Amino acid sequence: MDHLLGEATRSAGDAELIARAASGDRAAFTELVERHRAAVHRYARSLTKNDADAEDALQRTFLAVWRSAATFRGPASARSWLFTVARNAALRQARPRREDATEPEALAELGARAGWGTDSPHALLEGAEVRARLGAALARLDADDREVIVLRDLEGLSGDEASSVLGLSLSALKSRLHRARLRLMASLQEEIR
Amino acid sequence: MKLDREVAGLTCARVLEHLPDFIDGRLAPAERASVEAHLAGCDVCERFGGSYGAVVAALRRELGTPEPLSRDVEQRLAQALGAPASDDP
Ligand SMILES: [Zn+2]
Repeated sequence: MDHLLGEATRSAGDAELIARAASGDRAAFTELVERHRAAVHRYARSLTKNDADAEDALQRTFLAVWRSAATFRGPASARSWLFTVARNAALRQARPRREDATEPEALAELGARAGWGTDSPHALLEGAEVRARLGAALARLDADDREVIVLRDLEGLSGDEASSVLGLSLSALKSRLHRARLRLMASLQEEIR
Repeated sequence: MKLDREVAGLTCARVLEHLPDFIDGRLAPAERASVEAHLAGCDVCERFGGSYGAVVAALRRELGTPEPLSRDVEQRLAQALGAPASDDP
C-alpha cells in the first residue's frame, strides 16, 4: 500500500500518526502498524507461551490502538504507550507471572554464576552463531527477565519508557534489568561448559 | 575469589552493582572515577565488566532488529484490522 501513503505520512512521528488515527485516518494507522508490527510481535512473543498467543496479542494490540488512539496523550512516548497496550494484550492469555515471594538471589551469587571470577568471561561471545546463541539464551529466561531485556536492550527503550511500560519505579527497573542480564550471561556460560 | 575485596576504595560487590550505570555513562564523575580506579587495579572486575558490556552491546547488535513478520502473519493481521495486506493491489 506504500504508493497510497503520502510522503507526509511516512515521515510523520508516531505521536502524530496516533493523533491522525484517532480522527479516523486509515493511512496513518496503516503506517503505524507497518512501522511497529515486527517489534510488537517480538515483544508479545517474549511474554506468551507460543506463537499463536503472540499473534493473537499482536492483532488485539493494534485493534486496541485503533479504537483507543484518542486516549493517547502526548507528549508521553508513543512507543511506550504502544508497548503498554501490547503488554496488556499479551498478558491476558499468558502464564501466571512468577511469584516474587522467594528471596531475591544475591547479586554476588548471580555475578558468580554469570562468570565473575572466572578466567575468561569473554569466551561467552566467542565462536560462531553468536546471534543464535544469544537468542536461545534469551528464550531460556523467565518471561520477566526476557521482557525487560527485550524492551531495554533490544528495542532500545529508555529507562523511563521501560519503567512506564512495566509499571515499575526507575530503580526497580534498573535492578530487574541488571539481574536479567546476569542470568542471561549465566545461561550463556552454562552452554559453554 | 571474594566480592568483598577492596581495591581503590571500592569493593568488587559495589563495582558489580554499578556496572549498568557505568556502561551507560550514567555515573556521577566522582563515582565513575572510583570505578575506573578499581577496574585498573582489579583484573577480575575488569574482565567481567568487559564481558558484561560486550554482551549488552551484542544484544543490540545481533538482535536489535526484529525478524519481519511472515507473510501469513502479516495477512492475518491485515485481515483482523479490516484492511488488505500491504502489498495487495
Ligand atoms: Zn573487583
